[in-house]
Formats: sequence, C-alpha cells, structure tokens
Amino acid sequence: MVENHSREDHETGGENKEKRPKFFINDHVDILIEILERLDGRSLCVAASVCRLWCTIARNDSLWENLCFSHVSPPPSSVRSVVLALGGYKRLYTGCVRPVRSRLGRVRRASWAGDEVQLSLSLFCVDYYERLGGSNSNGRLVEKSSPSSLMFLCKPVNV
Amino acid sequence: MLRYDSTSSSAGSSSGSLSSSSSSSKPPQQDIDGLLAGAGYKVRSSELRQVAQRLERLETAMGNSPADFSQLASDAILYNPSDLACWVDSLLTEFAEPPPTCSSDFIVDPVNNQTVVNSAWTAAEPHTPQVHQNITYDEQQSLDNQLTVVTAMEEDSGIRLVHMLMTCAECVQSGDLSLATSLIDDMQGLLTHVNTVCGIGKVAGHFIDALSRRIFQGMGGGSVNGGSAFENEILYHHFYEACPYLKFAHFTANQAILEAFDGHDCVHVVDFNLMHGLQWPALIQALALRPGGPPLLRLTGIGPPSPDGRDSLREIGLRLAELARSVNVRFAFRGVAASRLEDVKPWMLQVNPKEAVAVNSIMQLHRLLGCEQTRDSPIDTVLSWIRGLNPKIMTVVEQEANHNQPGFLDRFTEALYYYSTMFDSLEACRIQPEKALAEIYIQREIGNVVSCEGSARVERHEPLAKWRRRLSGAGFRALRLGSNAFKQASMLLTLFSAEGYSVEENEGCLSLGWHSSPLIAASAWQAVPAWDNHMSSS
Repeated sequence: MVENHSREDHETGGENKEKRPKFFINDHVDILIEILERLDGRSLCVAASVCRLWCTIARNDSLWENLCFSHVSPPPSSVRSVVLALGGYKRLYTGCVRPVRSRLGRVRRASWAGDEVQLSLSLFCVDYYERLGGSNSNGRLVEKSSPSSLMFLCKPVNV
Repeated sequence: MLRYDSTSSSAGSSSGSLSSSSSSSKPPQQDIDGLLAGAGYKVRSSELRQVAQRLERLETAMGNSPADFSQLASDAILYNPSDLACWVDSLLTEFAEPPPTCSSDFIVDPVNNQTVVNSAWTAAEPHTPQVHQNITYDEQQSLDNQLTVVTAMEEDSGIRLVHMLMTCAECVQSGDLSLATSLIDDMQGLLTHVNTVCGIGKVAGHFIDALSRRIFQGMGGGSVNGGSAFENEILYHHFYEACPYLKFAHFTANQAILEAFDGHDCVHVVDFNLMHGLQWPALIQALALRPGGPPLLRLTGIGPPSPDGRDSLREIGLRLAELARSVNVRFAFRGVAASRLEDVKPWMLQVNPKEAVAVNSIMQLHRLLGCEQTRDSPIDTVLSWIRGLNPKIMTVVEQEANHNQPGFLDRFTEALYYYSTMFDSLEACRIQPEKALAEIYIQREIGNVVSCEGSARVERHEPLAKWRRRLSGAGFRALRLGSNAFKQASMLLTLFSAEGYSVEENEGCLSLGWHSSPLIAASAWQAVPAWDNHMSSS
C-alpha cells in the first residue's frame, strides 16, 4: 500500500520537466501517521526499517497503544501512565499482548478480548518487577540476569 | 461442577506414569479389537499400541505444520479409514516426517537383559518379530519429542518398579528393614532398564532415594529439609517459571483479594511466605488501575530470617515499593522474620483496626499440622489469631493431596500417584534450567513426605475437603471465588503451551490439575463474626 512513493532521485533527467512532482509520502507526515496507525505489529516493525523518518514515527508509543487496544474499547486514562511507567506500549505489545493474543486466539472466545489485555498487563507488571531486581540488587538476591517470567510465552525454538 | 478442560483429545497419553491408563498389553481372544470394531474401525488388538503411537505422531505433525494440514484438507483423498493402521501410516507419509534421530538410551542391550526382555514380550505380544521391529523404530525418536514413546518392555519394567516400590513401603511400615533393603537394591538395578529421563523412571528414582534415606538415615531426615533459605527461594522461583501452579495460585488469590478490597481506602495484606514477592506486582498494578483510584496499600511479608546478616525481606520490600511508586500507589512494607509460622504473633503484624485486612497463605498452612491432634496444636493457634484480625478475606492455596495420613503405606501410595502426575505435567515444560531446578524443588517435597517424621515432616498436605472442615470448625466461612477468577485462570492455562492442564470449579473453590487430576486448590475464606460462633462451631 505504501510502496507507491517514488524517490526524488529518480526524477532527474528529461522527464522531470514534463511531469508534476509525484506525491511523496514523507512530505505528508500526518497521512503517514494515519497509515502507520492501522498496521499490525509485524508490519509496523517492518515499517520502522524503511527510513529514519518512518523509524522515528514507528517508535512513537501511541502507535503501539492503538495496537494493544485495537480489539477492545478504549481503556481509562489511568492505564497510560501505568503502562508508561512499566516500560511503554511497544514493550507491552511485543512482550505480552501479541503472544497472549496469538495463543488465546486458538481458543477463540470473543468474551475474553478485554481480559486478554488485563492479563497481559499483569504479566507485564511481573516482568517489570523482575527487571527491577536484575538492575537494582547487589546480585545476590536475583540469581538470573534476565527476567524470565514471560519465558513461557515464547515459542520454543527448533534449532 | 463446572469444568474447563484444555486438553485435546488424543489416543491415550504418553508416559508410563500411574495417571495414564496404558493401552492393553494382553490381547483379547479375537484378533480385531471389539470396541473399535463397534465404532467401525478394524484394528488388530496386537497393533493397538503401534496405532496409538502413530496417531500421536500424526497429531504432532499436524500441529507442527498447519500449512500442510490445510493442503491435506483440500486434497480429499480417502485412504480407507476403517483400516486405521494403514490410514494413519499413509497420512504420516504425506507429512513427510523426517526420520527420527537415533537415541541410544532407549535401545536396551539385549545381551544383559535377555530374561527380562523375553519374558515381557512373549507374554504380551504374539507377533514378536514384527513388534520388535516396530518398537526399535519407535525407540529411536529424539528425546526432545514431547510425546515420548514407551516401549512394551519399558512399561513392563515401570509397572514392576511400582509394585516393588509399594512392597518396599509395606516392609518399611511393618519394620522388615532387611527385605526393604534388598528391594531397594533390586529396584536400583531395575532402574537401569528404564528410561530415567522422563516418565515413571524419573519419579521412581526419586522415591527410591527417599525410601533408602528413610531406611538408612532414620527419620530425622535433616538433609532433605535443610536447604538454606536462599536455595529454597531459587528453587521456588524456578518452580514458578516452569509450571503454572504458582502462577495460578497468585493470580487467583489476587483476584479474590482485589474483589474483597473493593471500596476500601486503607488495605493491608499479610503474606505468610513472601519469597521474592512475585505475587504482589500484579495486585499493585490492579489496584493502581481500579476505578476510583488506588488505596493505601500496606504489605506485611513473613519469611525466614536471612543467615548472613542481609535483610532479604527488606530488599524485596524496597523492590515492591519502587514498583508501587512507579505506578503511583501509596505503599508501605513491613517484614517479619520468623523461621516457623507458629512463631509469629499477631502484634508483630501491627494491624490497624480501620483497615481492610487480607491474609494470604500459599502452601503454608499445612506446615502447621502436627501429627498429634492436640488441643493447642499450631494450626489452631494460628487460625484463632487470624480470626482475631477479622480479615476481609483469607486466601488459602494448598496442594490437593492426602499426604498426612498416619499410615506410611497410604501416604506413600498417595504421594507416588500425586508426584508422578506432577512430573508428567512438568514434562511439557521446555525451558531449561527452570525445568531441572523445578524438579529438584519437587524432589525435596517428595523427600520430606517419604523420609521424614515428627517435627521434621512439614509437608503435611491435606485435601480441600479436609481443609473445608477444619476452617469451618475454626470459625471461617467460605467465599465463592467468582467467575472472574475462573476466567482468568482458564486464560492463564491456555497460555501455557502444554495442553493438559484443566481448571475445575468445586463449590466456589478453584482447582488446577493435570488431565483432570487436581493438583492444587485455591479457596477464599472470611471470619464468621464472633457472636455466630456458638451456633456454627462443630
């Protein structure tokens, strides 16, 4: 959908004088944001590798916030401050919401949509707590360097 | 009784533990299995095991490659499904399974085990050469395969191991220690014929160790329970990661506490076993987001004193405080160091009469049960001062097992069944080193149940029915856990990649089990007001 922009470099040459300048999406950041807001998580990550502008926009937490709550009614405003304190929406999405949603999606219970996000939030909070332990303690309390309470959400890797 | 079962129906379970019913090893008179014939399938009874194994492999293959599966569905070629064995084989070749890697652990040296092998096979299987070939092929599956194949010989050895374990326990109970000792030697010899990496072999190994410790070291059994607090915390943490039992306990208790605290602005949680405090971040976050804003949360954590002068309770408290600060919840922590729960006195908790109190006990109450039922046993003392605190809610999570019977053999049998089920469920976990350390955690419990007595035996698990009677008699009434807790527990289980866990609701209490054997039960209680006591106490 968004591959139709052309590079200005290619416009040099005789053709340039005959045609109007083509539409270049990077000149219209508001439209770009509108488009990126509607992408799914994987496409958003891919979009972040296109160019520096796209990368900056894709890092914006509000895009990931839309992803987290895409299937549910908008949450109360207090949720945002909590999520930002615990690590941000991008981390919440990639670490918790996406694996939770894909696993629960197999069972396909529509009534669970809102609870999925709540459960993801709780797991996210436990994960944040474990990360606190790794960085703050003097090393004797937490024996692992990386938090692993979310490991059970990861797909086993077939080597 | 409500039931949510996340298992997918498969043709029999895999490992040779007691909880699974093995497919028939003694063939009936006719060659075609009668029951399946009634359903329209022609399967030779002698081939039942192979067909079951291949069905399991087919299911794995289907699960692993959903793309192929949809192709298969669109190319609708029927391969005479009534001849089940051929049908499964043809489907398996469609999936083009890679040849399994050879694993030498399964292949038994025929020279040493001549007698065992021959007797098992001639008794069970009429088509001996064919069976031998098939089983060797199946033995070569890689150890990583979740649905580990159990051979006829192994299963036979497994059953013999179990019988010998029971006999040995009986000898120990009756005091015939010489026979028990020789049985231990025999069992350790038999262990070499059985796969000890998973299934019945692994569990049997732990029970043999515990029995020999009981026989040779007497019943003080100090080394089993003598792990340092630090070690215990690490093992507990890995047990938390590897399987859902503790997560289920925490999330269910938190949900009940959250609902009980509704409308209160000053709340106080008393945790009977703080460990790393992994239960509380989720509650803090839920309180932060509750409509109406978070209350003032006080947490009192009880735990063993740290040996080397560092205050581990305080460190956990600081960590929780930092989390609470990040999410804007007013938080205060207090640590109470006590090596035994009965040493804690209510004044140490400093409960404010105006605050709503929640008491949280995750697998702690059973430690207070002494062997003699005296009037002032620790459990009665503790329950009465809990009641004196007048908590809004007391969440109790306990192992659903009967490991406190006075007779040793009964206890042993129960424990064998319970822990083989638990080890079965742990097979599904693939995360290392969590799995290995979780197994050590369970192993220590086994050791305590089997080889310790008197005050050293602290793992005195009792089933939910007994706890119900005990708590009702102590002046508590049960609170129903509610549909939110059930929904959350079901979701949590679905997240675990193993499909064998099930949540059941039982008169307002939730229990989590493996293939419908409950292993851990969560319940919530409230103190009955004192003036009701003379009417409701038994």
